[in-house]
Amino acid sequence: MPAYEISINGRSRRVDVEADTPLLWVIRDTLGLCGTKFGCGVGACGACTVLLDGQAQRTCILPIAALGATSRITTIEGLAGDGHSHAVQRAWSELDVPQCGYCQSGQIMAAVALLRELPKPTPQDVRRRMTNLCRCGTYQRIHAAVLRAAELSRPGGPA
Amino acid sequence: MRPCCGRPNCRGPAGRPDVTDTNRRDILKGAAALGAVLTLPVRLEAAARGPAGDQPALNAFIRLPATGGAVFQCPYAEMGQGIYTGVAQILADELDIPFEHIRVEHAPTAEAYRLLEFAPGVPKIRVTGGSFSTRSCYAALRAAAASARRMLVQAAAAQWGVPEADCVAELGVVRHPATARHTAYAALTARAAALPVAEPILKPANQLRYIGKPMKRLDTGAKINGSAQFGIDTRVPGMVYAAVKHCPVFGGEALSFDDSILSSSRHILAVEKIPGGIAVVADSFHRAKKALADVKVAWSDSPLAGFSSTEFAERLRARLDEAGETAESIGDAPAALAGAARSLSADYQLPFLAHATMEPPNCTADVSADRAEIWIGNQMVDLVVALVQGATGLPAERIIVHTPFLGGGFGRRVAFTDQVIPAVLLSKKLAKPVKLIFTREEDIQHDFYRPMTAVKLRAGFDAQRAPVAWHFTIAGDGPGRNGNPGFVGKLDESVFGGLNKQPYALAHKRVDYVYEPIPIPVGYWRSVENSGNAFCKECFIDEMAAAAGLDEVQFRRNLLADAPRFLAVLERVAGLSNWRSARYSAPDGSIRALGVALHEAFGSIVGEVAEVSIKEGAAVVHRVWAVVDCGSVVNPAQIEVQLQSAIVFGLSAALRGEIVIEKGAVRQGNFTDYPIVGMSDMPVVEVAIIESGAPLGGIGEAGTPPIAPAVVNALAKLTGSRIRSLPLSTHHLVTI
Repeated sequence: MPAYEISINGRSRRVDVEADTPLLWVIRDTLGLCGTKFGCGVGACGACTVLLDGQAQRTCILPIAALGATSRITTIEGLAGDGHSHAVQRAWSELDVPQCGYCQSGQIMAAVALLRELPKPTPQDVRRRMTNLCRCGTYQRIHAAVLRAAELSRPGGPA
Repeated sequence: MRPCCGRPNCRGPAGRPDVTDTNRRDILKGAAALGAVLTLPVRLEAAARGPAGDQPALNAFIRLPATGGAVFQCPYAEMGQGIYTGVAQILADELDIPFEHIRVEHAPTAEAYRLLEFAPGVPKIRVTGGSFSTRSCYAALRAAAASARRMLVQAAAAQWGVPEADCVAELGVVRHPATARHTAYAALTARAAALPVAEPILKPANQLRYIGKPMKRLDTGAKINGSAQFGIDTRVPGMVYAAVKHCPVFGGEALSFDDSILSSSRHILAVEKIPGGIAVVADSFHRAKKALADVKVAWSDSPLAGFSSTEFAERLRARLDEAGETAESIGDAPAALAGAARSLSADYQLPFLAHATMEPPNCTADVSADRAEIWIGNQMVDLVVALVQGATGLPAERIIVHTPFLGGGFGRRVAFTDQVIPAVLLSKKLAKPVKLIFTREEDIQHDFYRPMTAVKLRAGFDAQRAPVAWHFTIAGDGPGRNGNPGFVGKLDESVFGGLNKQPYALAHKRVDYVYEPIPIPVGYWRSVENSGNAFCKECFIDEMAAAAGLDEVQFRRNLLADAPRFLAVLERVAGLSNWRSARYSAPDGSIRALGVALHEAFGSIVGEVAEVSIKEGAAVVHRVWAVVDCGSVVNPAQIEVQLQSAIVFGLSAALRGEIVIEKGAVRQGNFTDYPIVGMSDMPVVEVAIIESGAPLGGIGEAGTPPIAPAVVNALAKLTGSRIRSLPLSTHHLVTI
């Protein structure tokens, strides 16, 4: 069985899994980071979203063999830096977004990626580009929280 | 260390509160003093004794650790509805401790937490459902906390040798103002717990700090940093993984299978039959799932191999002229209809629906000869215990069930036999902890579905076009019979509820029920029968308004003169939405229309107005105004988001939700072909709350029923024709 060296949340980890193992199950079952969720297995819902080199990646459909040798993975557990919550997490907290909470790790990672690409999204940008599903229907608060996170991240913006 | 229940301090089995060594205290001995406040008999058992070195519990719900703060045992599961936050508000207020010092845990299985009494003499049960959580525990928790607070005050008064009446409890401290003495609750707990149970004296409304306020959720922190534990996150040392495949055709079983995979890979540990299918157990879920796909299975024949939902829909419609059983009869509707100057008749139809909770069904079981430990997000923990008892023969006290956070419930997680039984059997057989997970396809194709129904609605008008009678006939079957075999075919409110007991003042009303058994599994789906019946009834009210030549709001207003709560909700939502019956042009050039619907369910009345246009043959819902009268309020912020949530849930069904069954098998399999509403089609939902002072109503489901009829009533003004079946995706819509 092949061994893979992956960089996740700033640490290097070696995993022995089959080449076709989706990154999701490596993260959850092999590495025990359960904040990243299984929702559909076909890349349709986004519950399994992590950052792969800063981009949102749905991991249930990404075989580990497809990872680049230098790829850096960030999961929800690695989002906060130096004990400080990420601006997106602060906005999520301020707006009390989650209900059941199951999809929220993926939503937050998708929002981080969106704001990295578009630091000042319009309300329409957020509507179009936040495509993760939420069965509780927290979309209205997610929408507001992404815009709020953009404010919180702005240099000189609200603390 | 053992995995936990989503509670930061879960101690696993070793620290499980001891429910057998209880000191039962029945506060009913003081029931007379409680007056109308305590409507539910509640036993304040000292059930949560806690681990060694900790403090004794004050009663079944409250424990004050020596380190400060408070731990509350919540009878209900947290599935997104905010119950942990709600119970914390209730208990913090009456106990008088700071809200932020509270930790909430899912209470263990014990009689003290069975609070729902469905009928006099029927044993009380514990179920997180029916929008009952807050309503069923509000009085009990206030009484429990007020009693505990009083015992703390009594303990302090005894210690200081002063009268109880001269002491006050405030934010975790008992004070004796006359001498400026004070003591923290934690220091009084041991003494208080030894006192006789005190009769509760509830706080007056003006002294409540938290009840009625938009307190933030207690679980948000854990749900935004990845630490919240759901059932699927359970990790037990030595655990292996099971993937399951049920016979694609309902009612089939695995006759035989090829288990050669077992010898070809050391990672595959077992291939086993389970009820209705097979399971592969491996040392990772991915390996189990992949191996399962390669196992060749010979499936049995099934009597349902010919079942077609399209044909079943026709069968239901064909029975709508039968007399059936009468569920409600006021006046003489058939005679009034026969003599009506003008009459109207319409047939409506609803499809099967799946729940599609974001967290797929799963269960982890660790079973040995003398004990069983189960982790499962569930809405009915006592039933999990009963199932495990049945499958293992173990006594209840040797069975431990952990209920972590639920990744959505909506009724799916009262039906867990399909997860618990195979997980228990596999764990027992392999003598290892087993985590069993459904793929999304298994979930969609082997759910307990919202039943399909057909409804005929007839109305009669007098010569002045005033409505005088209606007669509804519904054909179908409901989840009310699940686990209740003697009930089959009887007058089942889980089929016709929401058609009867309507507030509209007509002299003659009748509701008939034609029982047509549904051979596939059916279950409780958010708002149950109301989800379909409100659609039929409220769309038909609009048809009646059109026949009467009246504005839809005015038509309802005319019939609600004697129903002031309904009328107030209707007027408020009409005002909020700037109601107009005629369609109009929006600034973006689209032609839009408003549609209204009004429905009572779970003790709450909800009125909704939807603003709708049509784009590329499909409905676009721009805005929804929702008004709820839920009597009184524990947390207005959670009411707002539950209404939004219930509306999105109902909107997914109205726009696209449909489970189609062909040759006994479900055609859909994932979010790709069972699509739900996403951010891009989420309307802006504005919520207003009316506190009428009526008995506390439920909130988790009441927002769902009105959304489909509100949208379809708006569409009727755009298309010029009446849609009488869902989902809307099966209709090509054109604005005329």
